[in-house]
Amino acid sequence: MSQNHRYVGRSLPRLDGPAKVTGRARYAGDLSLPGMLHGKLLRSPVPHARIVNIDVSRAAALPGVKAVITGRDTPGIKYGNWRLMPETQDETPLAIDKVRFIGDEVAAVAALDLDTAEEAVRLIRVEYEELPAVFDVAAALADGAPLVHDEGKLTSNVSLDRKIDYGDLDAAFAAADYVREDRFTLPPVSHAYLEPCACLAEADLEGRITIWTSTQTPYIVQCLLASTLGLRENDVRVVKPFVGGGFGGKMELRPWEFCAAFLARKTGRPVRFALTREEELATGRRRHPMRIRSKVAFRKDGTLLGKEFEVYLDGGAYNSMGPTATFLCGNFGAMLYRYPAYRYRGYHVYTNNPPAGAMRGFGAPQALFAAESQMNIAAAELGIDPIELRLKNAMVEGDEIPGVATVSSCGFVESLEQVAAMTGWKEKKGKLPPGQGIGVGCYSFISGGVFNWFNTQYEFAAVEVEAYDDGTLHLKTMASDIGQGCDTVLRQILAEETGVSIERIRLTAGDTGATPKADLGTWGSRVTLMAGNAVINAVRSIKDQLAGVIAARFDLNVIHEVAFADDRVFAKARPDRGLSFGEAVRMATRANRGRALVGRAGYTPRNKGLVTPAFSFGAQVAEVRVDVETGVVRVEKVTTAHDCGTVVNPMAVEGQLEGSIHMGLGYALCEELKMEGGRTLTSSLLDYKIAAAEDMPPSESICVPTFEAEGPFGAKEAGEGLASPTAPAIADAVHDATGFRAFDLPITPEKILRGMGRLDE
Amino acid sequence: MALPRFEYLSPGTLDEACALLAEHGADARPMAGGTDLLLRMGRTGRAPSFVVGLRRVPGLADVRFDREHGLSIGALASLATVAAHPDVIRHYPALAQAAAATATVQIRNMGTVAGNLCNASPSADTAPPLLAHGAEVLLHRREGERRLSLSRFFRGPGRNALEPGELLREIHLPPPGERTGSDYQRISQRSQVDIAAASVAARVALDEEGICRSARLALGAVAPTPLLVDEAAALLEGRPITDEQVAAAAALAVRAARPISDVRASAAWRKKVIGVLAARALRAAVEKALAQ
Repeated sequence: MSQNHRYVGRSLPRLDGPAKVTGRARYAGDLSLPGMLHGKLLRSPVPHARIVNIDVSRAAALPGVKAVITGRDTPGIKYGNWRLMPETQDETPLAIDKVRFIGDEVAAVAALDLDTAEEAVRLIRVEYEELPAVFDVAAALADGAPLVHDEGKLTSNVSLDRKIDYGDLDAAFAAADYVREDRFTLPPVSHAYLEPCACLAEADLEGRITIWTSTQTPYIVQCLLASTLGLRENDVRVVKPFVGGGFGGKMELRPWEFCAAFLARKTGRPVRFALTREEELATGRRRHPMRIRSKVAFRKDGTLLGKEFEVYLDGGAYNSMGPTATFLCGNFGAMLYRYPAYRYRGYHVYTNNPPAGAMRGFGAPQALFAAESQMNIAAAELGIDPIELRLKNAMVEGDEIPGVATVSSCGFVESLEQVAAMTGWKEKKGKLPPGQGIGVGCYSFISGGVFNWFNTQYEFAAVEVEAYDDGTLHLKTMASDIGQGCDTVLRQILAEETGVSIERIRLTAGDTGATPKADLGTWGSRVTLMAGNAVINAVRSIKDQLAGVIAARFDLNVIHEVAFADDRVFAKARPDRGLSFGEAVRMATRANRGRALVGRAGYTPRNKGLVTPAFSFGAQVAEVRVDVETGVVRVEKVTTAHDCGTVVNPMAVEGQLEGSIHMGLGYALCEELKMEGGRTLTSSLLDYKIAAAEDMPPSESICVPTFEAEGPFGAKEAGEGLASPTAPAIADAVHDATGFRAFDLPITPEKILRGMGRLDE
Repeated sequence: MALPRFEYLSPGTLDEACALLAEHGADARPMAGGTDLLLRMGRTGRAPSFVVGLRRVPGLADVRFDREHGLSIGALASLATVAAHPDVIRHYPALAQAAAATATVQIRNMGTVAGNLCNASPSADTAPPLLAHGAEVLLHRREGERRLSLSRFFRGPGRNALEPGELLREIHLPPPGERTGSDYQRISQRSQVDIAAASVAARVALDEEGICRSARLALGAVAPTPLLVDEAAALLEGRPITDEQVAAAAALAVRAARPISDVRASAAWRKKVIGVLAARALRAAVEKALAQ
């Protein structure tokens, strides 16, 4: 991190902070338009059934109801994010012939007010012919299991599989001194974002749609909304207002977005949908429940020889983002350490549960809970300190993952060494009194994906910068701030690159009608690296022109370097020879005979393997106190050392870390969507237990200094990777405290007591 | 979720309220804070035809204490008021702990202790400490008033002893004796904003020699109603409270518990921790008694 930077590396408060804390920030559900109608969805009460008949006559006759639609009224075009593989696109906005989970959308109403819309939904009569259903992977794969999707070519409920093979695994197991095989079970959990999904759609006089929606991916919504409505991409404008979190749960076209647009066109009036918390928890996307079998081989000195990793993902009723999770799970099964041989088999399985989708970490939290727990088990059985065992096998810069990727910058070894030093690891591990424990978990994550599953024809990220002669800049990007802070970070990068003060940078973001094509959205921890690079690329032509202006104006020898700093453009060696940024822009505009000074460029990772242009790394230590009489765990401290490349905004990184600890703590100890016969029992925030503020441990962290050549100013991701290490670290600490090793989450007090043999059955 | 339609009645006196409740019978429900009633109406889509609000009835929100008569908690006294009341904190600490542990700040500001009892949830936080402190409830109707021991008020999950036309006007606790302490212990998966998976209140009174004059142990969330462990009183009274006595009383609590398995916890774990909580509550109550 260079000390010469004015903006990069500074803990700049979020530019959207004041609007949010004073309540002036308006979210999709706050928006309204004259004549607006209120929408409400009818959802299936049964997990698997043929729709025999739908009678909407009573609902349509209710005074105040302006329209009622079912799947039969719509074009019925299938959609899904994996456009590259059209056979994976398995959803229609409203069910056509069949419902596949409790909550599947069946019909929609638009009415003058919400009460009327809700009453109308209750008046719709649906006749279902119930079908046998499957609620877990074993049942879905059993002989003669009913097919969740029987309309296509699939002959089983496995919708997609993924294989990775490298090295000679059989030889590795044969040569091993120590082989360990374990099975892990991961539960479904919810994003529990603060803002439930909402959208407002309006049709213009020619039927073109503008939709304001709570989304992470305006471009994806634009494309898929257009195709499902039978419109052209250019007929749909998606605007992202303030968004109250997404965590992967808002990165697809969703039925209410389609219904709002469809009903707006049908009624000629704006239509708003807003989901309830109960709808979100009971029917919403969730992190994949998984069953993982992992078999790992070591030499007795701790050298890793290979691993076999087999994963079954309970995908629920539709593919959603399951294919990506299936791919990434395979990658993260063999990250962090040098595995000479690896075999991955991942199976995405349809069931009649609500569909799982992307959620912070995207397959990594599950894979790394298994992989990191197994490292801790192996360390104990090999008699090697778990951090030493990791150091012995840790990936370093330049390591190749055969056929997958090459590791560029890598601060994993430093992270392990630092976290050990910060916590006094050697003095504590295995030496604390009963009931107290310390444990470690590590992570690696992608700084955006390189695999073009959406099959976009545009650059992965794009930016336009316009320079004004008043010394200001206008930054336009489709990149979407959903609370993670990219509106601030991208302006920091532009300010650093141009020397223009950040207050002088206006931002227009997340509006497909006003920003350059395209940006794939906020997911996969991609925005800082990809949109950040696009910012730098976009402003390059402006800087070239301004440098030319200074050179001409001051008759600079061609060898002079022109600098951009403090709102000035000047000869670096002769700072007096320069102009204010605005004056330079004016001269360039004159020189161009009035053509505005606009720079436009994108960024697309090319020749970067199959996964990502840059990996982040980190190590985390959790210290816990377990009440051995009740099994209640108190996490007393979490310490993190991690490598996210150059830190653009330390305060924002710390915010990501603390949010990750909160989610990781819940994943480890208390969060679980409890299911029974396809029904989500924990459909309120009372029963779905996210940790309370008082449950949060103090956090101490450092970022180890690395520089990522592919990242803007050397930066990498810090948003999602941190979601992974907390659960295995806590599980390891609980083991240290009690002797109980958890193979499934969450680690409830009950499981601990049972594991300690202290529960009479 | 929209509330179903109902008529809101706002009587100015207790007798008027009781008359309305008597007149409309099962079609009417009284409302104090509304934190349970309105939520249930929204969730189920079913409402009584009439909601009888008590806000305009004077004096119902009072909390009064004197050493001679004890503590009176009016039907409209909020959980927050009771949790923060200096006399409650000093003389009935288990009740202050329980009221402060209930739900959230917002719900404690609106919800009432009386409503918490009338809702008759097995996991009601304020029930075990009120049972342990020997509370009585004053049930009012136009014809007059009756007093009922709280242990006889609970009839099952969601069922209480109120008859048509009857209102819980006041909760009364006897005066605290000398060298008396009480404590409330609860357990739930997260530390706040959670329903107790199991809870215990203990109250003990000691004499100058440290002999137990009286003791009460009450359990929550481990039976169809909040529960007094009568055998514990017999076991503890008349001798010093030793570690062995505490363990024996805890074993009685475990034996008395008849928990179910539900989405919050299993029966086996509840039965296990109820003993742990009972021992902790008893020890803490003894410490508080000795500190007086």
